[in-house]
Amino acid sequence: MRRALIAGVATAALSAGMAHAQDLTFPIGEGEFNWQSFDEFSSQNDHSGETLSITGPWTGPDNDLFQSVIDYFEEATGATVNYSGSDSFEQDIVISTEAGSAPNMAVFPQPGLAADLASRGALAPLEDDTANWIAENYAAGESWVDLATFPGPDGQEALYAFPYKIDVKSIVWYVPEAFEEAGYEIPETMEDLKALTEQIVDDGGTPWCVGLGSGAATGWPATDWVEDMMLRVNPPEVYDQWVSNEIPFDDERVVRAIEEYGYFLEDGRVAGGRQAAATTDFRDSPTGLFTFPPECYMLKQATFIPTFFPEGTEVGLDADFFYLPAYESEDLGRPVLGAGTLFAITQDSEVARTFIDFLQTPIAHEIWMAQSGFLTPYGEANPAVFPSDVQRNLNEILTSATTFRFDASDLMPGEIGAGAFWSGMVDYTTGADASEVASSIQQRWDSIQ
Amino acid sequence: MNPIIAGLVTIVVGVGGCVGYFYLSNLLLDKVIFPARGENISRNINRANAVRPWLFMFPAIFALGLYLVYPVIGSFWRSLYNRAGNEFIGFGNYQALFTSGDFQVAFFNNLLWVLVVPAASTFLGLVIAQLTDRLSWGNIAKSLIFMPMAISFVGASLIWKFVYANDPDIGLINAIRDFFGLGVIDPMLVPFWNNFFLMVILIWIQTGFAMVILSAALRGIPEETVEAAIIDGANPFQIFFRIKVPQIMGTIVVVWTTITILVLKVFDIVYTMTGGEFDTEILPSFMMDYMFRDDGIATAVAFVIMIVVLPVMIWNIVQARRELR
Amino acid sequence: MDNIAGSKSSLGWAVNITVLVIVVLWLIPTVGLFVSSFRDRDQISVSGWWQAPFAVDLTFRSRAASEPVQQDGLWIYEGNLFAEDAALAQTFGEGSGEITAFGNRGTQPAAYVAGEEVDLGDGETLLVNSDGTYRFTAAEEPRRPPTVYFEAETPPEFTLDNYRTVLTADNMDLAFINTLTVTIPATVIPILIAAFAAYSLAWMDFPGRGLLIAAVVGLLVVPLQLALVPMLRLHNAIGIGQSFLGIWLAHTAFGMPLAIYLLRNYMVGLPRDIIESAKVDGATDFQVFTKIILPLSFPALAAFAIFQFLWTWNDLLVAKVFLPSDDASKVMTVKIADDLLGSRGGDWGILATAAFVSIAVPLIVFFTMQRYLVRGLLAGSVK
Repeated sequence: MRRALIAGVATAALSAGMAHAQDLTFPIGEGEFNWQSFDEFSSQNDHSGETLSITGPWTGPDNDLFQSVIDYFEEATGATVNYSGSDSFEQDIVISTEAGSAPNMAVFPQPGLAADLASRGALAPLEDDTANWIAENYAAGESWVDLATFPGPDGQEALYAFPYKIDVKSIVWYVPEAFEEAGYEIPETMEDLKALTEQIVDDGGTPWCVGLGSGAATGWPATDWVEDMMLRVNPPEVYDQWVSNEIPFDDERVVRAIEEYGYFLEDGRVAGGRQAAATTDFRDSPTGLFTFPPECYMLKQATFIPTFFPEGTEVGLDADFFYLPAYESEDLGRPVLGAGTLFAITQDSEVARTFIDFLQTPIAHEIWMAQSGFLTPYGEANPAVFPSDVQRNLNEILTSATTFRFDASDLMPGEIGAGAFWSGMVDYTTGADASEVASSIQQRWDSIQ
Repeated sequence: MNPIIAGLVTIVVGVGGCVGYFYLSNLLLDKVIFPARGENISRNINRANAVRPWLFMFPAIFALGLYLVYPVIGSFWRSLYNRAGNEFIGFGNYQALFTSGDFQVAFFNNLLWVLVVPAASTFLGLVIAQLTDRLSWGNIAKSLIFMPMAISFVGASLIWKFVYANDPDIGLINAIRDFFGLGVIDPMLVPFWNNFFLMVILIWIQTGFAMVILSAALRGIPEETVEAAIIDGANPFQIFFRIKVPQIMGTIVVVWTTITILVLKVFDIVYTMTGGEFDTEILPSFMMDYMFRDDGIATAVAFVIMIVVLPVMIWNIVQARRELR
Repeated sequence: MDNIAGSKSSLGWAVNITVLVIVVLWLIPTVGLFVSSFRDRDQISVSGWWQAPFAVDLTFRSRAASEPVQQDGLWIYEGNLFAEDAALAQTFGEGSGEITAFGNRGTQPAAYVAGEEVDLGDGETLLVNSDGTYRFTAAEEPRRPPTVYFEAETPPEFTLDNYRTVLTADNMDLAFINTLTVTIPATVIPILIAAFAAYSLAWMDFPGRGLLIAAVVGLLVVPLQLALVPMLRLHNAIGIGQSFLGIWLAHTAFGMPLAIYLLRNYMVGLPRDIIESAKVDGATDFQVFTKIILPLSFPALAAFAIFQFLWTWNDLLVAKVFLPSDDASKVMTVKIADDLLGSRGGDWGILATAAFVSIAVPLIVFFTMQRYLVRGLLAGSVK
């Protein structure tokens, strides 16, 4: 046993040593990548012997994918990057900044948390021209700059974070074969979607799968629903006012959005009924799409959900998605709800600054794009490197959006966006009244102001 | 360095350091500082004996003071300040807590937990300890019942998912209901009783602990007292409740207290099973919701927890005082 | 001591049966976990673990993979459903499946009995035999190969894949060693320190003893979350930082109140005359402690050791705060919670396996310690 363990450690040490000389995922100079940007970046920066520590929420396959991006940074600058991902990143980063043991950089999945840390002085502001760069180069650039600009400890607003990697939430997953056999068409408008929902019920089927269960975070999938409906019944300005609590949570426009979500929960429209929807784990919620006969026909969930499809499911063939359409009658264009991650500097250093520069090169986006699960608003990144049409179509939803808004619950203060809003939506889903739920959330918001 | 060797070395150094401290400091006290010889022999012995308890207790007091007393005092101070920690608001946080509906629910649930879980675990543990005492396969039975103790809380919550899940293809309860033609229910959504379903998980874990300790105590009961009762014609139930239980009351108190304390610290079960939704919130998980966001409120909750358990603590202190006399 | 059990045989039976029922009740959840650890995620969500050993009727979908043959003005697809799809072929093995019913629509996957040729309308017919062979005919060239749904008796399937995934995860061996490195000193050191303190509080006379006992009892309830941030800050300030040394200190301190409380309560109950006669014989306190108290307190020491060992072994919170988050110092709980579960959150099979792997060592420890526990108990009951 002991011998085997030692051998195991030796192998681990050996492979760690080899990691340095590992092959880059895509050989430099080949393919449709923007190698010129890499060469330019490489010739301008040299940080040999320096190290950079990054923590973030990416684990498992995402960890490997980000690692593949890091490899190019290491290759270009000679620096060593230590990335460690954690599923409870949000908690870890708060503890380590509080304790003064923060890494150089942190990848925030929630702007709200980054804003909180910035106000405590735990983040270093980025340079001014970074803000200009984002505004000029990202699609809907100004909204990205706004997203990452927070007041610092002195109340002075500055750009504290760099958005990189985006998820689209306004999509509905379905099984093309099930649709085809039943003769259902992809709805182009919200009116069509509601008609389809009713038609499926009339045909004796169940249209929707909903699963809100997520341990301590139970309820978040319903907040996505409400946010999406918010963008479909109100102009984006109202959405922004809602996020910043300029209009109260129990404003009738917000209550209306909650009730729009409620439409999809009504009798027979959700698999298992409202109660089951509240406790079903969101990771189990796609299962119903793939049973015979189907337990449900549609699931609204973000771009990451195929991870939880049954083994061997091929996206594009066995399962596909469509854009959650907007009302034809409301004339609000094509709103898209999304989320994303933001890079911020938690311990200032030269290398960390250089890494932010690196994220401004097309190659830093293309490397991940060419693998999986990566969308970007950066126009210079070449869509040709996407490995499949599914990815290209997703990015297409992003780029054809007339309005893009970030997940509201990630922008609201933690007590609301990661607390009262979640619980409120659980209560609503299990049958509480929309305006009562909304006013109880507003009360909580009042109590923290 | 090879991690195994590093681990071993540190284990030896750490443990050796502790043993060394006690042995050498004791030696130093007796042989060098207050040597039990010469003209001051009796004074020296007395002095050494006065110092020795503190010598023995120093590492413990140091660790407790630094890691528990200091944060407690600091936290109490913090709980008197507002969210940002820059404004003294007296008992404002406590006031805010007791007027908040969520807190009241958590508080009430927590009282239920504190009353039910220790009582149920101790009672079951005691009964099982007695029943298995004379059984030929008693040790096997005890081991199996103790097994849940070894499972992490997160693992335990997963196990109970396979019992409670609302899908009859995953959850055992609903499979049984399905079998008898009853409708599917979701145990986590049954108002009020869902708390008890969550408590069952902790009782399931802690009964093994109570059983092991209590069965040790039962074996320590002098045989004569039991034999005398048998001669007097007492039936087995009388022997158990009138003769045995009173004799191990001290141990029962210890077990009860230990489990009570655990109940007040465990947030994992509620956290992973329901996330505190459906009115199942308890104080420790309520505190976790505020931790790192509003430390004023979070620390105030911690002190409420300490107050909830005050009766048990006083009971213990009284017990300890009585022994001293 | 022939009391409840054994004195009357009917009562003896009742006791045996009661204990058996309790044990079975206690075991059911764990057995569920154990069985689930050998199943993959898809199976866990389609059938209960209690059905795992039996063949169950499940519905499947298969698409014709071969090219159609044109014959007598008909387009004909022929083949074996089990062979058309790699995943199906793996589930059923080579042609061992038995189809009971089939259909051509997902809403009615088992509309027709196997072996019956069905007219699907539009000049299409479908025949599926129980051995999986099928024949589909169409009057016009189909737009794409037909999809066939069928219900078949599925053999039970167990897999070691979950264990392979968990045990061979990168650096899992290192995490195992790290866990031991954290756990063993964090169990032994508090016992030593607490035993001395407990002895002082139980058998030595000094002013302030009652107050100290009360303080220890009071500290039992301190939620350790309060101490995490201030202590980590202190560790950073004095240069310990996030390290093994730091986590030992933390575990030692956090386990200390319970250790002192349990040990003191036990030591107080030890027979006074043994200690006093030893002192009369000229033994010093140190000797009384090491030669008499420690051996007699073995059951309590063992009980606390088990408690503390399990606590530190299963601990996630303290490890996350006091250990650095790099791969080199991750312990198993952190590794499982953050690395394995984070990326496979919904994979109940992996979760079950991880839970099982992590209880293996505590169980071994308990079963070994148990013998000493019992021996210690017998030695302790001399009073």
